[in-house]
Amino acid sequence: MCKGLTVALLLLSSLCAYGQPFSVEKNKEVLHSSMAGIGSANVLDTYLSPYNYTGTDIRVQRETMRMTNLWNGNVNHQSMMDINVSFNKNRPGNMDEFVGGIRYSHGWFYNFASGNVVNPVERSTSRWNFAAGLAATAYLGGIYIDRGGNNPAQAKAEACVDASGMATYDMRMGKHHFLWRYQLSVPLLGIAFSPRYGQSYYEAFGMGHYDRNVVFAHVGNMPSMRHRITLDIPVKHYVLRVGYVGQFSQSTFNQLKYHSYTHDFMVGFTKYFYRR
Amino acid sequence: MKHSFCTPILSLLMFTFTLAFVSCVEEEEYDNSKQGNFEALWKMMDEHYCFFDYKQQELGVNWDEVHSRYAAKVNENMNDNQLFEVLCNMLAELKDGHVNLSASFDYGRNWSFYEDYPQNYNDSIAKLYLGHDYQIASGLKYVILDDNVGYVRCETFEKGIGDGNVSMMLHNLAMCQGLIVDVRGNGGGQLTKAHTLASHFTNEKLHVGYVSHKTGRGRADFSYPKAEYIEPAVDGVRWQKPVVVLTNRAVFSAANDFVKCMKQCPQVIVMGDTTGGGSGMPFNSELPNGWQVRYSAVVYYDSEMKHTEFGVAPDIVVEMSGADIAAEKDTYIEKARELLKNPAVYGIE
Repeated sequence: MCKGLTVALLLLSSLCAYGQPFSVEKNKEVLHSSMAGIGSANVLDTYLSPYNYTGTDIRVQRETMRMTNLWNGNVNHQSMMDINVSFNKNRPGNMDEFVGGIRYSHGWFYNFASGNVVNPVERSTSRWNFAAGLAATAYLGGIYIDRGGNNPAQAKAEACVDASGMATYDMRMGKHHFLWRYQLSVPLLGIAFSPRYGQSYYEAFGMGHYDRNVVFAHVGNMPSMRHRITLDIPVKHYVLRVGYVGQFSQSTFNQLKYHSYTHDFMVGFTKYFYRR
Repeated sequence: MKHSFCTPILSLLMFTFTLAFVSCVEEEEYDNSKQGNFEALWKMMDEHYCFFDYKQQELGVNWDEVHSRYAAKVNENMNDNQLFEVLCNMLAELKDGHVNLSASFDYGRNWSFYEDYPQNYNDSIAKLYLGHDYQIASGLKYVILDDNVGYVRCETFEKGIGDGNVSMMLHNLAMCQGLIVDVRGNGGGQLTKAHTLASHFTNEKLHVGYVSHKTGRGRADFSYPKAEYIEPAVDGVRWQKPVVVLTNRAVFSAANDFVKCMKQCPQVIVMGDTTGGGSGMPFNSELPNGWQVRYSAVVYYDSEMKHTEFGVAPDIVVEMSGADIAAEKDTYIEKARELLKNPAVYGIE
């Protein structure tokens, strides 16, 4: 993670350095991308177990980006749906854990470069393009350990505002454009669900004994981040997208610790449309 | 304008990103060694078990002293069976049937709550009362005895007892002058099923107890107790005639809570022996070597904020008589039938 910190800090620093005058040109490109991938997961939830469970993660992402008319046409909108499931085992390998969740976000990004991050190959004069903004994100998921009892599962629900930044780099090889994209999202604040330290779900939902089950989430008690690096490769009439998604979700609510570190290698397609 | 807009956003991103990376959320992990597993178990109980104060008061258990005493018995030359025995002995200090250690080769437990007491139940004799023509509503076996008393045998709350099952059973027993609900040997199951059954014996919302859970790792970190109620069954049949609930020391956990609830019902008499207790809702966890741990995590009190961890006392104490057993008679059921012939003597209308 520390290596990732260094790389990301450098990228963010360069974000300032490469800021260029923006164009007032409005455009109507819409980008759709769909990716699926597989990788690894490392999950800790002390409500269920004090130990890390590790295993295989499967992820699907669907993204739509378009430019808006906001701020002289320099703001783009991104909607992202992210679904993942992971199948994990504890260290001795005698217990199974199933994790799943869906995250949906809407974000608005200010484009710093002369072009835009939606379709920089067509619309930008610079190889580098940068954007930063805020996103409203909702997450719903759960963790289940196959052992029965009164605490076999943990529900996850969050609604947060994320700070997010993205960068694109147009790598030209001959007449071909290979487009690199990088995006970083960090939850800033919001609300999240959590049981109390030793509270049973039966108390909360069977008896209606709620006890600080909706907590204020901020970067101090939910230090999380999501990275996405992709490469768009033109193949005949299509654009193939390959990439890496790294999600580092963490929280400490009601003295319960949680983390989910996933690394997924993704593949999919990108398509550009023209919006009338 | 452009720069004044981007600078705060970038600064915010840099700050939050840095903060996010420097604070990894991890839990202390113990080695999968003999000492590591011992320490992991002791700490897990220390931070999650809900009856330390009560067990110190009733049994004189000092968990710190327990650590000192048992740590000296653990060394890396032990085999798994020996370690398992030491860990189980440590847990047995708590005398809690909800505290267990489970490995592939054994199930560690302390069942002294019923093993140290008379059984007060003979399955062969009880079956004579059910006969062969009894009916079964989910987990509830029932029959009408010769003297027009309904007899319901409830062996467990692990089966899916629903309002429909209970209502149909009570409908079929509606002509009886009274009801015997025999929960002897019922080791518990789902609390909701116990409450479902109890809800058919009250016409009013009943305050039956309080519930409190741990709010942190400290031994005294508990939530403010919240009242626990039984709502009368909305749909179906609610029993209005006298009821005798038969109990023995093997009535445990959800069945213990059922007896606690039934004691609040106006037309109910609890007869037999003190129940086995088990008033802590158990949670599960694990050790570094994969052994599974179960422990009491949530405290259920009675309506006077008293613990029922060591059982609920009956209204009428009864013991199985040797003469009755020899005559293939169940003393409990016979006493209950006598009571139901003249319930007013016992204050039941």
